[in-house]
Amino acid sequence: MSHRLDVRLVKRLPGFSLDVEWTAGEGVAALFGPSGAGKTLTLQCLAGLLEPDAGRIVVDGRVLFDAEAGIDWPPQRRQIGYVFQGYALFPHLSVAENIGFGLRDRGRAEGRRRTAEVIARMGLEGLEARRPHELSGGQRQRVALGRALAPDPALLLLDEPLSALDATLRQSLRDDLRRILAEWGTAAVLVTHDFTEAYRLGDRIVVYENGRVIQAAPRAELLWQPASERVAGIVGIRNVLRGTVLKAMPDRIQFRWREQLLEAVNSPTRSYLPPPESPLAFFIRPEYVRLIRKDRGTPDPDHHMNLMQGRVVGEADFGTTWTLYIKLDVPGTPAQGHYDLEIEVPRLVYEILDIEHDRQWQLSIHRGSIHVLPSSPLSAAGERAG
Amino acid sequence: MSPQALSALWLSLKVSMVATALVALVGIPIAYLLARRRFWGHAVVDTLVTLPLILPPTVTGYYLIVLLGRRGILGAPLYAATGFTVAFTWYAAAIAATVMALPLLVRTAAAAIASVDRELEKAAFTLGRSEWRTALEVTLPLARNGILAGLVLAFARALGEFGATLMLAGNIPGKTQTVPLSIYTAVQTGESHEALLLVGLLTGLSCAVVVAAGRLGARAQ
Repeated sequence: MSHRLDVRLVKRLPGFSLDVEWTAGEGVAALFGPSGAGKTLTLQCLAGLLEPDAGRIVVDGRVLFDAEAGIDWPPQRRQIGYVFQGYALFPHLSVAENIGFGLRDRGRAEGRRRTAEVIARMGLEGLEARRPHELSGGQRQRVALGRALAPDPALLLLDEPLSALDATLRQSLRDDLRRILAEWGTAAVLVTHDFTEAYRLGDRIVVYENGRVIQAAPRAELLWQPASERVAGIVGIRNVLRGTVLKAMPDRIQFRWREQLLEAVNSPTRSYLPPPESPLAFFIRPEYVRLIRKDRGTPDPDHHMNLMQGRVVGEADFGTTWTLYIKLDVPGTPAQGHYDLEIEVPRLVYEILDIEHDRQWQLSIHRGSIHVLPSSPLSAAGERAG
Repeated sequence: MSPQALSALWLSLKVSMVATALVALVGIPIAYLLARRRFWGHAVVDTLVTLPLILPPTVTGYYLIVLLGRRGILGAPLYAATGFTVAFTWYAAAIAATVMALPLLVRTAAAAIASVDRELEKAAFTLGRSEWRTALEVTLPLARNGILAGLVLAFARALGEFGATLMLAGNIPGKTQTVPLSIYTAVQTGESHEALLLVGLLTGLSCAVVVAAGRLGARAQ
């Protein structure tokens, strides 16, 4: 069965308004954004726990809410599973009773059979009689998932499913969760304020900010083609910079930045043709900046594009990688405080090149590694089909 | 112990148990509504239920006479229809004790219900439970200790009721004379031995109740 979710919601609260529209298909949609952006509010509207002021919610062709048509199904009839932040397991009930809670309509024998099946699939055998407080964080997560999935919902909602766990557990449980969601194949909407989590778990990412959707796209597209500087900032992309357009062509854009002439590949899905002298936002991934070895002679201009000279003015050791802060050899205020570019090199490279002692470097960035961001008027368009 | 004291003790226990049952029946739904619903008249219900805790018992008793006496607002039609009147029967003692004990249960139970995590109720809704089933299967079981503590306090309050009972039920030996009333009578007539015995009895019972309520309250946390 093919899954499809169409969401349009308006909800006004004192001091906050939610006004979003997005769609999702198969797999997991991750609602990502800072706390207080309206993500949990969206889940509550989807589940029917909160009534929107306007909008429409359609799950697999079933209209669950339509303000104009006066349709508002109660949460009991929506067939939507909800994994709450902190799980909200019933503390007075056993693991088996928690998981079987939503199976009352199926009759005693079938309820018991399904409970046993879910317990087995979740790897919770032997814990049937335990109470939630006697379980580990990971076991609780699986009970919460099992409880929500047991009635075979049309859609599963997960509110910050990993936030109740400590850091060491988070990563392994994130992979657990990913596996379970893939195995069950239930369409899911997940809320998180952690981009790594959104990226690892979501097939599609919907970026929330202050009650609005600023981009909704497949995860790869979001990372490589953020719709705007705001999205780039919110997903934690580094080296978001501003230059001035010299010449924009459908396949390339030439621009000026810190007295350098740079060339970037134009956005492949939407050729962006700003007039000369207009401001341009772009970003450079720190791991895609090359350091040119001094023993290799004169740099080959065909191979080494966007050449720049700079000096390491700061560095940070992240174990497997080093982050270097580079200030270009040009006058004027550096682009990012005391430095112009942040670059990342593997530890081995750092050691081989003896960066600890050698601070003056020539840099090169391939034109495909400079990502142009459409400027603000375009980014305000909000939802973008993915 | 004199036959009179024994009958007072028996009557007191009967009245208190009936009153506690009535308090549970009426008070738990009121506590749930006060804790979980915002409705028109919320403050009025809250105030009315709490009032007997603040008012002098004789004032509450007076209102009960106005309501249930032979010529009372409810009492008169009842008398006209059946020839029965509540006043000066043990029913009156039970009703007076119920009204006086109700605030203790409602307050305690409402606090316990309000402290149940609402996410648990929402989880039950998404799993197909109506609000009514959710209250029975999730909210009330989780507020159980607080509700039991409230019932124990209500029982104790009913056992010690004096003023409102005197007003509505009178002080008829063997009929409406509960232990507190018989202590009063014993002191008035100089039967200090009898008074001391009953005072000791009531003190012991109350101590047991306080301990029980404390334990339940501690577990409710």
